[in-house]
This record gives sequence, structure tokens and C-alpha cells, in this order.
Amino acid sequence: MRLTRVMLVVAVALLLGGAGPALAQTFVWGNQGEPVQLDPAVITDGISARITHQIYDTLVKYKGSTTEIEPGLAEKWEASADATVWTLSLRKNVKFHDGEPLDAKAVVWNMERWWKSNHPQHENQVKAGQTFEYWEGQFEGFDDKSIVSKIEAVDTHTVRVTLKRPQAPFLANLGIFAFGIASPKAVEKAGTEYGKSPVGTGAFKFVEWKPNQEVVLEANPDYWGAKPKVKRVVVRNIKDNSQRLAALKAGEIHAMEGLNPDDVKVVKADQNLQLILRPTNTTGYIAFNYKVKELQDKRVRQAFAHAVNKKAIVEAFYGGTGLVAKEFQPPSLWGYNKDLKEYDYSPEKARDLLKQAGFPNGLTEITWEDGKKEPFVFWYMSRSRPYFPAPKEIAEAMAADLAKVGIKGQLQTAEWAVYLDKRKNGQLPVYMLGWTGDNGDPDNFLCYFFCSPGASREAFYSNKPLADLLQRASTLTSQSERARLYRQAEQMLHDDVGRLFIANNQPPIALSKKVKGFVANPTGNEYFNTITLQ
Amino acid sequence: MRQYAVRRAFTVVPVLLGVSILVFGFIHLIPGDPALTMLGERATPQKVAEVRQRLGLDKPIYQQYLIYLGRVVRGDLGISIVRGDPVARDLLRRFPATVELATSAILLALALGVPIGIVSAVWRNSMIDSASRVWALVGVSMPIFWLGVMLAWVFGVQLGWLPTGFRLDSATDFRPWSNFVILDALLQRNWEAFGDAARHLVLPAVALATIPLAVIARMTRASMLEVLSRDYIRTAEAKGLPQVAVILRHALRNALLPVMTVVGLQIGRLLAGAILTETIFSWPGIGLWVYEAIESRDYAIVQGASLFIAVIFVTVNLVTDLLYAVADPRIKYD
Repeated sequence: MRLTRVMLVVAVALLLGGAGPALAQTFVWGNQGEPVQLDPAVITDGISARITHQIYDTLVKYKGSTTEIEPGLAEKWEASADATVWTLSLRKNVKFHDGEPLDAKAVVWNMERWWKSNHPQHENQVKAGQTFEYWEGQFEGFDDKSIVSKIEAVDTHTVRVTLKRPQAPFLANLGIFAFGIASPKAVEKAGTEYGKSPVGTGAFKFVEWKPNQEVVLEANPDYWGAKPKVKRVVVRNIKDNSQRLAALKAGEIHAMEGLNPDDVKVVKADQNLQLILRPTNTTGYIAFNYKVKELQDKRVRQAFAHAVNKKAIVEAFYGGTGLVAKEFQPPSLWGYNKDLKEYDYSPEKARDLLKQAGFPNGLTEITWEDGKKEPFVFWYMSRSRPYFPAPKEIAEAMAADLAKVGIKGQLQTAEWAVYLDKRKNGQLPVYMLGWTGDNGDPDNFLCYFFCSPGASREAFYSNKPLADLLQRASTLTSQSERARLYRQAEQMLHDDVGRLFIANNQPPIALSKKVKGFVANPTGNEYFNTITLQ
Repeated sequence: MRQYAVRRAFTVVPVLLGVSILVFGFIHLIPGDPALTMLGERATPQKVAEVRQRLGLDKPIYQQYLIYLGRVVRGDLGISIVRGDPVARDLLRRFPATVELATSAILLALALGVPIGIVSAVWRNSMIDSASRVWALVGVSMPIFWLGVMLAWVFGVQLGWLPTGFRLDSATDFRPWSNFVILDALLQRNWEAFGDAARHLVLPAVALATIPLAVIARMTRASMLEVLSRDYIRTAEAKGLPQVAVILRHALRNALLPVMTVVGLQIGRLLAGAILTETIFSWPGIGLWVYEAIESRDYAIVQGASLFIAVIFVTVNLVTDLLYAVADPRIKYD
């Protein structure tokens, strides 16, 4: 009996002893899963980027809570008059975490690794099944395909990049997390294993990666920029959303993203927590397939625009984090058109427009370009995405709105991959989808979809004047001039109802009240060197 | 007996072959082009084609299977599609965490389930018996993820007694030799790490133990009741042996045989339950690993891990059957 009691006491002591983890000076971020790699050049996922962003610097950065460009490893830059030659002056006395100097040679080495498929450390990576996707996407491919034609070190601290033709978002592209500058020596030493032992110039140094658990970083005392105010950063992998919130409430982590929509209220009600909404960089929309004859009539598209009650949808399904979208660019982008006047919610106008278009009894059937008729089907996504957190419920609400004006159709969905497949093949007449920006440049929203008229990338929309305008905007270097053109482009897209934009979402971030100085950025990547713990 | 063992062992081969076909087939039956699913909405057709080729998805399915089987036999479970790491190596690296969790859960279930079963049987229809019956019903039908989340909220968030996830605090200074953290801490006599690891183990182990605990308690009870009505028990009682001796020495030994089989089956179930438990408690074992792999459609990992779990399951069942034969010499096998 006595023995049992002793054992009980020991057990309880073991359980309770040391409760309350020692977090002082260690900032713990709850990540949504396991990182893929810590080599930013070959990753595309936000979970890994969250970590690499602390370890590396890019040549230019996005300022504070905006997507404006500010100096990073490049102190200043200059473009030739025709905007094809960019001269970047590097910051002096910057060292990589392994003590190697950051100079023009190192930068050129990095860029050539991304760009040239015969670079040993490029080849290596491809053999291991990885590609440099962001380079391919932003700089139009590798080798001769790329928009880049030459990269050279002019002197120890000057790099010159020559483009085949102007690329307006060139600088904005360089600020993407994927273009973090790595220590050439470290990459060469580790080869394909480099992603497990990253070396950059950033505010935090890599210490250890415990698989499936956490990645540990420590402050870089020699950092060239604002010195970190915490000693260590631990990025913990907590897959389950509810569990991550539980860990936050229990004080085991300091901050997290990926809240369940219902939990926004929980966080707001908790005195120990604070909620930050990240400036939106994402837009959910309805796309019209222009191979459908009925949809080629602008009045029909306008009817859609007047029929859908966006405000009600945002209020009902975004848990207080959504905004009504009136154009493609989210309001955090500098090309956003503040003055654009939204279509008002008006079922009468919608019915009227349908009547004018020749559908007095509403629209229940569609005709494809080849003459085939089909019942009208409204497609929604099976999977929740940032721009449509509850796609099924939102689709049902929209379908109800449309039915009210006589546009009656079946709701239909498909497994995500199938959905994307069908969309690519042009099999969906009207469907929901969205876009999240990569680099904070309007070009990344507008030109990506509308620069090539009639392209199959999305729904075969063809608007030549819009495409011409966007192409012109993409060759300019003056931001104010570009902004003017993008505002104009949004107006054109709006007037033609090229698509119907529904909502922007501002992803919520939940933090302990102890955390100060967290600056949320629309790109989804924040620097932890601004954070203090109280 | 030896003949039986050999024959029983051979039945494992077709079972595993069948499992490998199922595992391979199921994943390919999921709708959607895996390459496109992996690459997402921005994929270019060239890229999709490239990935399909890399994954061997352009070959006929029977060829893909044969290639796969050939590698598996050589112990090569492939390369993770997302991370590029060998699946077999990562599997072995993560398995200890799962073993630690599953072992704790089964020990907990036995330590509580058997006594509860005995007590219920001896004092049949008493308060204790009714309570344990209700508990068994609740325990069997309680979803692990719900129970796990509740445990974490009550003991982690509200009371703050126990951590809500992971195996160690980040602040705990400890280098495990293997991935058996508790064992390593004991061997290194690092009591701080041991306590920390033990605290982290409590909630997931309790969550995982609930179902087997209920099953074992019910099985022990039923089996005890049957044994207690036998003649030799009455004889023992008539001899004037103390009741405790009768129950523990005479009845329990015989009653535990069927319980053994149940435990064997439960071990297999535990591995499945571990997927949920590990996800809820961020426990870095194969469960969490498989869950993440399913989400990112990392075929190689899902295939490798499923096959591995099947092998464990089949092996445990084999061992249980053989042990059963050893433990009960009355049973003749031919």
C-alpha cells in the first residue's frame, strides 16, 4: 500500500514538475506542417518559405505591411532607359552565416544556379527531382528561354543583369522568398542535401531540423539589418488547426496561422491572445467560359454581376476576415483602383438585363460553340482555399441568388485535381476559383491571365485592348505610370465583366499578447527580427 | 507444432502480396491526375508531363506495379516525391516514436483493463460492473480525434498540467541516441528529459489506449465469467483456498488466453489509431508522417508506410497465434 502511494506521488511529481515550458527569449511559431526543404530556390510551399525567409535575404524586400520595394542585399539599383539593363549595388560588409563574404560573385553564382540548367548545382538538383519553379515562372524559363540574357559581376559589389526585353516586375520578382541568396560554398559542399543545412545572410541562423517536429534557429548577431530581439526561433510543426490553437492557448507556441474560421471568435474572446489580419493578397472569383454562347453576351455577364449578393456572402462565410472584391487586384496592391464603382446588388436589374439579352424566362440551358446544348451547371471547388474558405456554402448562396433572377442550374463539384483538369480543358461553363499573388506586383494578377487574349489559361476570355494595355504596362519602369495603366485595366475588365470578382480574404494570424512588433505582409512571409517578447 | 508454425508462417506470403496489390491499386484509383494534384492550379502542361514521367505514371499500370514490387523486395520503398528522401530510411527513423506511443498505450490498456475486467466478473452486476460496462461502451464508440482534442483542451489548455503535443519541450536539452526518447533518457539517466518525455506521452497514450482498454476489460470479464463457472474453480473453492488465490492463480491464467488474441488484434488497430492520435498531438511518428503524405499525395510514402503497417499487422497476428499454441497445450493443430 505504501509503495503504491509512493509511486503515485512520484508519478504526479513527474507529470507536474517543470510544467510551463521555458520560452523566454525563444519565439515559437506554430507551423501548419513539415517543411519540404530549406533551400528556397527549389520550394514553392508556404510552410517551408516561412522558415527560409528568416535564414535568407533577398536582393530587394517588401516594405513593412505592403508590397512596395525596399533595399535588401542590394542597397540601390538603376535601370537603363529602355529598362533592359539593371545595375544592382550590393551592401558592403555582409557575411553569410558560414563566414563567407557576400559579394557580386556570390550573387552571380546564385542567379546562374537558378537560371542555367548546366550549372552543376542546378543539374544536381534536377537529378534529385527538384526544379527551380519560381525562376521558371517569374523569369520565363531556363537558359535561352529565359528573359534574362546576361548576368555579370561588374566589380566586387556591383551586379548587372541584362534582359532581352523590359520586364516591369523585375525588381518585385527578386523580392520573392525563392530568390534568397545562399552561400555558394555551403551549397557546393552539401550538394542535394543542402536543403537540410541552409546557409544565408539572414537575421537568423539555422541550428537544427528535427524531422516532423521543429526547426530551430538562433539570432545572427552580425546581421546587417535590424538585429533580432529574441535569441532563438523555433518553428514547430503542428498539423491540426484545432491542436495548433490549443498549443497557442496553452502557451506552448507564440503565434500561428491557419485558424479554423469559427476559431477567429475564440481568439478574439481570449484575453491572452491577439488577432492580426494579414493584408489581403488573394481574390476569389467566378469565371465565365467564353466558349459558351450565352456567356459571350455581356448583358448576361452583367446580370450575374447584379444578381450575386457579395456583401451577404462575405458577412456569412468569412468569419469577419473577408472583404467584398470589386476588382481583380486586392486592395493591398499599388495598382488597385480605389475609384472603381461596384455593380450594385439588384435582382431587378439582373432580370432586366437577361430579358434584354433574350432570356425573358431566365437561363437554364447553355450552348457550347459547337452547338451542343447542355443544362446549365455551376461548378464549385471541393476544397477550401484562402479565397473561398467554405466553397460549398458560398456556392449554394450564389446559386440561390442566381436562381432568384432566373439563372437556374445544377451545382456540381469534382475532386480538386479533376476540377483543375476540367477547367484547363475548358469543360466548365461557369466556375469558382481564385488567385493568390506571388510578388505583390499587379502584373502577377492581371498580365498572368489577360495578356494573351483568348488563351486557354482561364476560360478563353479575349479582350485585345486590355491585353495591349497590360503588355505596355509590363515594359515600363515608372511605378506611377504603371499604376495608372493598371487602374485603367481594372476599369476595362470591370466594364466588360470579364470575370466576376467576389471576395478578398485577409488570413488571420493569432498571437500571444506577449508578442509585439509582428508586421503582417500580404506576401504571407514575415520577418521575425522585428518581434519582441514581453 | 513445428509443422503448424511453418504452415502458418507461409500463409503470410499471399496475404502480403495481396496487400501490396491493394495498396498500390487504391492510390491509383483516386480520381485526378496525381501530377496535376501535386503541382496545383498553376501547373503548365510541360511541367505536368515532366512530373508524370518522373513518377513513371506514363507506363502501363501493371508495369508500374512490377517495378514497384521488385524494389520493395530489395528493401527499397522508393523516394519521397515531395522531399526526395528515401522512404525506408525515414520510416525507420520515425517508427520508434510510434512504437513508444503504441507500447505505452497497450501497457496502459492492459494495466487497467485486466483488473477492471476481473473486478467486474467477480462482482458481477455490481456498481463497478455497470460502470465498467458503460465505460466500455463509451470507450469503444468514442472517436479518437474528439477524445484527443478534448484531453488536450482540458488538461493542456484549461488546467495547464500537461503539454498538448510533441515529445519534448524545445527548451529541454537532450540528445536521444535512438528515437526511443523515454528509453534513451532512462539509459542516459537524464531524469529531466525522462520526466519531460513522460509528461508528453501521457495524453496521447491515454487517447490511444481508450479503445483497447475498453475491449480488453470486456474480454477479460467475459472470459473470467466463463472460467469461474468451471468445475475446477468450484473444486478449488471447496478445498477452502482463499478467494484471491482462486481468482488470480486458477481462473485468471486460463481466462487470459482469449485476451491475448484480442491484444494481438488491438496492436494492429493501434497503428491505425496512431494516425489520428499522432496528428492531434503532433507526435512525430509514422502516423503523422503518413497523414501529411496523404495530403500532399506523396505516393511513395503512403505506399511504403501502408505496406510496412500491413507487415507489422500480419507479423503480430502470426506471433499471437503461435504464442497461443504454446500457451495452451490442449489445442491440437494439424
